[in-house]
Amino acid sequence: MLTTPARRSIFWLLLIAFAAWDYATSAPVNLRLEPPMITAGSGTHASGGHCAMPK
Amino acid sequence: MNTAAAPLRSAATPARPGAWARRLPLALGTLALFGWLLWSVSSRQALLLLVGVGLGATLAGARFGFTTGWRHLVESRDPAGVYGQIVLLALLAALSMPILAHFPETTAALGPPSISLLVGAFVFGACMQVADGCGSGQLYKAGLGVPLNMAILPLFALGSFVGSAQLNGWLALGATEPVGLVQRWGVGGALAATLAGLAVITLGVGAWSGQHFSVRRIPRRWLWGALGLALLATLNLMIAGQPWGVVYGFGLWGAKAATALGLFDPTQNAFWSDPGHAERLHQTLLLDVTSITNIGILAGALWVAARRPQTPRALTRKQWAIGLVAGFLLGYSSRLAFGCNVGAMVSGISTGSVHGWLWVPMAFLGTLVGLRVRRRFF
Repeated sequence: MLTTPARRSIFWLLLIAFAAWDYATSAPVNLRLEPPMITAGSGTHASGGHCAMPK
Repeated sequence: MNTAAAPLRSAATPARPGAWARRLPLALGTLALFGWLLWSVSSRQALLLLVGVGLGATLAGARFGFTTGWRHLVESRDPAGVYGQIVLLALLAALSMPILAHFPETTAALGPPSISLLVGAFVFGACMQVADGCGSGQLYKAGLGVPLNMAILPLFALGSFVGSAQLNGWLALGATEPVGLVQRWGVGGALAATLAGLAVITLGVGAWSGQHFSVRRIPRRWLWGALGLALLATLNLMIAGQPWGVVYGFGLWGAKAATALGLFDPTQNAFWSDPGHAERLHQTLLLDVTSITNIGILAGALWVAARRPQTPRALTRKQWAIGLVAGFLLGYSSRLAFGCNVGAMVSGISTGSVHGWLWVPMAFLGTLVGLRVRRRFF
């Protein structure tokens, strides 16, 4: 039976591995196209995905 | 007995010796990720990570459970949790609606009233009681180290992905355009209507429970939880330009995995071939708004867990199986419902989306069914 710290460690290792794999296989980050630090007042509309979006 | 239902120690419990020593590596890890995001990805994402950590610490520290609040209202006629949620909605609406009106860059959580929404919210309401947690609840309980919730997260992601891939089929059953109260009535009208709606719910809850609303009678953890979540969700709106959400990030993770395994062709799918979604599918998830706040919530809950170690109780195989199926359905139905308690209820209602007001009664009906299932098997 795994202890809670062991279960947590496995969970975080899997999560970090997934994020690292995704970072390595995704398109490189283009810092020149960085979104504004604070969207409100920036003049650039929000561009993120949200669960309320129908499409 | 569900592991997820095992009582957490009180927030007032003194920190165990060594809790700060356990927190130090976590704090250093979070700071390292913050610095790396700031340097290599985006300053916006770095800030949103901190917002997520705050959300996770608040949810776990205050034990601000949407699911638990509803369950206690129905089963024990204890309205404290629901009153806490109403305070959160009122505070967040008062903060968010002026921002939406003043800054045209920001958007509301506008989902379409639809058959999909009604079915999805009902199923979600039922499954959140069986799986003992909504979207944010699954996240913070996984961060605390509750076994069932940790196991549910990948299935939640899978369900959310499948739901998004089939969303257009569900929308074809009948849908209207999203309705935003701030756009229609302005800040004053939208806020007045929202507060009036919340007042009606408060009266109904008071009549059912026999305990009328009084700030003094609500346990303080619900109040500071509501205040903390309202402030952090407002920061999320200012920084990201969109309200707090949970489910989209999970669906994105599922879509990425399915595409990488060759099981899914996003170019042939109506939802994922949309330019915005397709772009996020090709980008790192670290650039996705909801993904980064989800990671932050997990880390924030882990911070709290260092102070309050868990001793979960064992589940039977049948309970595990039922919990995992409910976890998959949670993800699927939250896509159909255009959000979970966070994306549809909290963000929808506080930003004036009518779909949030349709979500609540359907999810509550589902909760009544889910509680019977829970009593039968857990």
